[in-house]
Amino acid sequence: MSELTLLILQLAFLALLWVFIFIIVYAMRSDLFGQRVRKLRSDATPAAAGATGAAGPGSAAAGAAAAPGGAQRPTAAAAPSTPATPAPPAPKVPTFVPAPGTELSGPPRATTANAGRLVITSGPKNNSEIPLGTEPLTIGRSSDSSVVIRDDYTSTHHARLMVWGEEWVIQDLDSTNGTFLDGQRVTSPVHVPLNTPIRIGATSFELRR
Amino acid sequence: MSAAPTAPVSSSPAPTPGKGIRRIRVPQKLRNLELFLLLFVCATNAFAVVIVQFGALGYADLTVVTLGAGLAVLVFAMHIALRLVATNADPFILPIASLLNGIGIAVIYRIDIAEKLTGWESTALRQVVWTSVAVALAIVVIVVIRNHRVLQRYTYVAGLAAGVLLLLPMLPVLGQEINGARVWIHVGAFSFQPGEVAKIALAVFFAGYLVSRRDSLSMVGRRMLGLRFPRGRDLGPILVLWALSMAIIIFQRDLGTALLYFGLFVVMIYVATGRASWVVLGVGLFLAGGVIAGQVLVYVNDRFTNWLDAFNPDIYDAQGGSYQLVQGLFGLANGGLIGTGLGEGRPDITPLAQSDYIIASLGEELGLAGLFAIFGLYLLFISRGLRISFAGQDDFGRLLGVGLSFTLALQCFIVIGGVTRVIPLTGLTTPFLAAGGSSLVANWIIVALLLRLSDTVRNQPRLVI
Repeated sequence: MSELTLLILQLAFLALLWVFIFIIVYAMRSDLFGQRVRKLRSDATPAAAGATGAAGPGSAAAGAAAAPGGAQRPTAAAAPSTPATPAPPAPKVPTFVPAPGTELSGPPRATTANAGRLVITSGPKNNSEIPLGTEPLTIGRSSDSSVVIRDDYTSTHHARLMVWGEEWVIQDLDSTNGTFLDGQRVTSPVHVPLNTPIRIGATSFELRR
Repeated sequence: MSAAPTAPVSSSPAPTPGKGIRRIRVPQKLRNLELFLLLFVCATNAFAVVIVQFGALGYADLTVVTLGAGLAVLVFAMHIALRLVATNADPFILPIASLLNGIGIAVIYRIDIAEKLTGWESTALRQVVWTSVAVALAIVVIVVIRNHRVLQRYTYVAGLAAGVLLLLPMLPVLGQEINGARVWIHVGAFSFQPGEVAKIALAVFFAGYLVSRRDSLSMVGRRMLGLRFPRGRDLGPILVLWALSMAIIIFQRDLGTALLYFGLFVVMIYVATGRASWVVLGVGLFLAGGVIAGQVLVYVNDRFTNWLDAFNPDIYDAQGGSYQLVQGLFGLANGGLIGTGLGEGRPDITPLAQSDYIIASLGEELGLAGLFAIFGLYLLFISRGLRISFAGQDDFGRLLGVGLSFTLALQCFIVIGGVTRVIPLTGLTTPFLAAGGSSLVANWIIVALLLRLSDTVRNQPRLVI
């Protein structure tokens, strides 16, 4: 073996080691730099809200009440880089926490027994579904969420679907733009009825049998 | 964890008939990435052995490569086990551990060639056998422990086991004293360092104990100098651990292990309570203990002298002096930026070049560039471990993950810092690299536990919108 060959082999080996390291660093880049955000086109939001109205029974109200910034100031949707602007009318919406037994008519509450899947009813992944187990589901932009929604309106840790004594409950995790159950902003953990739209950003979903 | 989550989860194209609703199916993307990395690693390891042979022997001897292929089969068996029982486990941990282990075997083999050891005399062969035992044990752990919370039930059993393992070397017949440290047990032809396995048992014990006790350890206390210090009666655990590590220093004459256990406890109590005063207390206690030990115990004092005044000719020539440390530094200096080339340096001049001083051997033959690559691998491994614990769902799992990855980090710091003369030299093994069966077994079990933890964490989003 000539010295030159040995030197080349040595350099090749060192290069291999470093290539390995950079492959790993590249593969885990999303852990280092966070999720990439998908920019919504300025006209995408009203379209999505319209789709919500078509998809669920009570969600025409959701479209109106849930996108207050979009309804009153059309420029807000055109400038998605400022989603932190607080939605003014939202706090005036009365808190919707149905006490047990006060629901007269309306869909029954979703329990682990009667709700089997989560169906996306509007948004980019319209008509997708995931099976529901009994474990909680986190929703947000971060990659460690169970359901990752990557748009400008979703917070890193946005909301959580969890089971309280067999019944599904949605909790808003202090998100900037809010979580809306049947058009009402969720301020404290609320029971989720079956077939009722929950809206986060431009995405709506329902719990179904 | 989320290996390449930027690509959206591909939904199966065939819609459910009638409903127009697609079911989301997640392919085993993480495992495929792992398979790719493992193939890369196996090629690199074989390449390392071949370079060693070209450099040291001048020809390639393919029987050794065949031996390595046997190991590769075991690693792929672990990969298949992960596909079956831990689909969402971290894809980087197994390849990194295999690469470090393979480089270690290549360097040990290189030193065997220099010392003309062959057959069962050869350290490399024993290292290969131990690696296969360790990987097999890791597969058993990952298959048997399906949920890490089971370990929490055995909190106190783990504590007891750790105590027994630590006491084993002190037994008259079983225990064995090598190079002054009494940390070995001898059964038949094998010697084993039970302290290495004890660190896993201790991590389990600390995690279980701190999860149940951390409220009393963190809520109350007196405020002093901007830090909230714990009550006197809550100091019990840390004092017990301090006494234990001092006992290890005095009776087993092993500084490194004592520092490792105490550091592990201090970090875990800090993570569990979130209070810096524990770190202040712990570091203070250990420094005080170390200074007193340096005054009283001759061997500790020698370590300090060797460290501070290494290049003094008297100390260099003295029995148990700084000869080994300085030879290691000369080796590192000889390596320079890109090293002498595998098989072309003289790392065998340094005593224990294949175990305690394997970092010096690596530094001589791979140079600064290679050594930094090794450090980078450790860094990635430990960062994955901490990331797994950060994303964990239950407190026990989080604490256990922090403990396990931190033991590795601390062990690397203690041994590499010792060899490079940053801190006084203490005998510990370099994880995955150094020759030594007990260390390999312990570290591969840590690999299995971290993989199990990372699978339990819901790390792969079920749906990406």
